Amino acid sequence: MILFGVGSYTFAIAAHAVEEIRNLDGIRPLPAGAATPRLGKFKHVLDRDRKKYFVVDSNLHFRLFPSKGTRLLVLRDSAAAVLVDHTERIIEIGSLHALPRAFQGEERQWYRGLAMIEERVVPVIDPAAFMSKAEFTVLQAAVAGAEEAKRGAATA
Amino acid sequence: MTSRPNSFVLFPIGKKRFALPAASVTELAHPDREQHFPHTSKLLTGVLVRRGHIIPVCDVAPVLVGPDAPPRKFFLIATRKFSDGSEWTAIPVSGECELTTAELLPPAGKLPKHVIGLLALDKEIIEVVDLERLIGSGVAA
Repeated sequence: MILFGVGSYTFAIAAHAVEEIRNLDGIRPLPAGAATPRLGKFKHVLDRDRKKYFVVDSNLHFRLFPSKGTRLLVLRDSAAAVLVDHTERIIEIGSLHALPRAFQGEERQWYRGLAMIEERVVPVIDPAAFMSKAEFTVLQAAVAGAEEAKRGAATA
Repeated sequence: MTSRPNSFVLFPIGKKRFALPAASVTELAHPDREQHFPHTSKLLTGVLVRRGHIIPVCDVAPVLVGPDAPPRKFFLIATRKFSDGSEWTAIPVSGECELTTAELLPPAGKLPKHVIGLLALDKEIIEVVDLERLIGSGVAA
């Protein structure tokens, strides 16, 4: 598991779900036409190895106050990269505890469960929750449309 | 904690006391380190770790006494039932709890739906609450 921090919270994500941890070099704002309030947690895009990654602001994903994102977790088998404050270390966890049933909100999608790490309870992220297929489709179409419009304006 | 059919655990929240059926109460815990992580579930404030279990903390004080509830000092650990099982829940309370045996009287007058009965003690009428309805009404609010 990779431990990472957002605001005052620590999270864990399976190491095999992350293809690369990198700085913010190369990210650029989503084209104006592609940024919509409904997909407000996506504000940037990263072009990497001829593939486009949509950058998820983890503060907005977890409904937290803004903090300073300095690292990107580029997800494997996904077109999402996650902006986080910092990465801590890689650890092994003994067992994954189910999220208590009392938690009935969006956290049921966000987390695969909870891990106990040195007496700390740390949520273990479900990477698939960062970007749904529907969100990807909308973003991809919006970015393609915005880029097409830009090309059209340049050639006019 | 063993209980008889008419035994109840009285717990204070501020100046008022409420009761839960003793059968649903597991223990009264001293303040532990409550831990927090992001979520969107109403009333839940975090989790406790007790003997290897991760127990959600559900603060019902705002539902029972409103937003000006005093600081909570202990956790009453009770069992909640769900459709697919049951689990412990820690309820923050503001003082020591007491086990009592009394006759459960039917709720009288206009009381919230989470009040399932009343206990008439010496100089005090205590509302017995149903945890599920109480949490449900707090979540729906």
